[in-house]
Amino acid sequence: MLDLLAYDFIQRSLLAAVLVGALCSTIGVFVVLRGLAFMGAGTAHAAFAGVALGYLMGWPPLLMAILFGLATVWITGWVEEKGRMKLDVSIGILYTATMALAILFIGLMKAYNAEVYGYLFGNVLAVTSEELRTIAGLSIVVISAIVLFSKELYFIAFDQEMAAASGVPARRIFFLLLTLVALTVVISLKTVGAILVFAMILIPASTAYQLTHSLSTLTWYSVLIGIACSVGGVLISSYWDIPSGPAIVLLATLFFFIAVLLSPKRQRRTLART
Amino acid sequence: MTFRPLIMSTPIIHFDHATFGFPSVIALEDISLEIQSGEFVGVIGPNGSGKTTLCRAVLGLLAPLKGHLRIFDCACDELRCHHRAKIGYLPQKGVVDRNFPVTVLETVMMGRYGALGLFTRPSEKDRKIALEALAHVGMEDHRDSALGHLSGGQQQRVFIARALAQQPKVLLLDEPTTGLDITTQHNVVELVRHLHDKLGLTVLLITHDINMIRSHVDRLVLLKTRLYAAGPPAEVLKPEILSQVYGKDLVITERDTIIVQDYHNHHH
Repeated sequence: MLDLLAYDFIQRSLLAAVLVGALCSTIGVFVVLRGLAFMGAGTAHAAFAGVALGYLMGWPPLLMAILFGLATVWITGWVEEKGRMKLDVSIGILYTATMALAILFIGLMKAYNAEVYGYLFGNVLAVTSEELRTIAGLSIVVISAIVLFSKELYFIAFDQEMAAASGVPARRIFFLLLTLVALTVVISLKTVGAILVFAMILIPASTAYQLTHSLSTLTWYSVLIGIACSVGGVLISSYWDIPSGPAIVLLATLFFFIAVLLSPKRQRRTLART
Repeated sequence: MTFRPLIMSTPIIHFDHATFGFPSVIALEDISLEIQSGEFVGVIGPNGSGKTTLCRAVLGLLAPLKGHLRIFDCACDELRCHHRAKIGYLPQKGVVDRNFPVTVLETVMMGRYGALGLFTRPSEKDRKIALEALAHVGMEDHRDSALGHLSGGQQQRVFIARALAQQPKVLLLDEPTTGLDITTQHNVVELVRHLHDKLGLTVLLITHDINMIRSHVDRLVLLKTRLYAAGPPAEVLKPEILSQVYGKDLVITERDTIIVQDYHNHHH
């Protein structure tokens, strides 16, 4: 397996996997704790619709993905704040509406475009040097923002109203979190794909959730699990020649079920019942 | 009229004919109330009487529709309030997810975040303040425990410590005894009284349990959308005043215990 590492494309994809794995699993902590899990899925499909429109019109697909992603998270965030409808309903509507747009845009294309499908299913092994630079640049922006505002992000995840009552600009931090979720989704589109990026945000953080009662430990566990799954997934994918997205996500799912079985929380609950 | 020390003479919360809610649904109407520094005030009233609205207003989360609200030196008409960190707030039980993966010390440290402001990392000094706050509520030995593993009363102590870690001037407690057993209820109220005396805090305690707090507070505020009475418990807890708010639900027993039928039915 080690001789694989000599290839340029493997090095590139491993680097992309580390970045995307770390990024998704970090933002995932706040997404899971703030109860925004479904929003990740909605944003991914909206971003994909942006990509499809980009290819249809000859506009830059990544930029369109960012615009569509941001529009979705801001609209859902605004709807949640107004309390007009439940978050799962508003996301559900935007999720399916943007997917319908994506299918419509693809249908309007004159010819079959393999690159568009690359964004849907992801292929980390096909990441180019230029894409890697974009991923690295955007990852630095998102991770810096998370580090800079970590204490506020933890606080609004714990209780947004209490955070606002304590003098934290909770509303602005909530919209910052939504923006970071959208950017993370877009950054990860090319490597894990629109369908699976949601799993990369959700699973490492949920796995870590099973293993600890401390916020800081939870974050470190999540990042380690995220990187381990991405790197492991890439290696499995290139060694056995299977698609990279499913390899990463299924490995993460395996980790999750192992964590559920070993969870001290679960053992505590079992003890409490007996 | 008894002599009041100088510290009591500065109003730190001042409602001036303030109305809150939505134009179609008024939650609190024409409230005029001054709360002096160092007072222990209990806010009572039936369900839906605007107690929680009052709480949100004091936190600076709600601007008055009419009239004015001044807290410290901050007019709250614009909701650009700088006073929030000076008010330590204990939300109603059940508002916070008790299974959230967080330790006791991490919870209390959050009390520092608002006061620190953006871009400032908590330092060793903030950790000391948090540990001190835990010591005030007698929970210092549980600092590394998971919040979700504690009993209801212990969690309530941790949340009071979180509020204290803000080094507040005012402690605002929204139904702090709900869902606790009777002994724990008394312990929590006594702890609040003790903190009020020891730290010189102004306390605003919102509750439906009149008997629980009547012997602890300096003043009671009786609400039902409007302010019906504000004064020492003996002046407020008169049958003719209470019956205006509670109507036929009110029962006063021989031992002067006040029973509100409505709540009785809710809890049994």
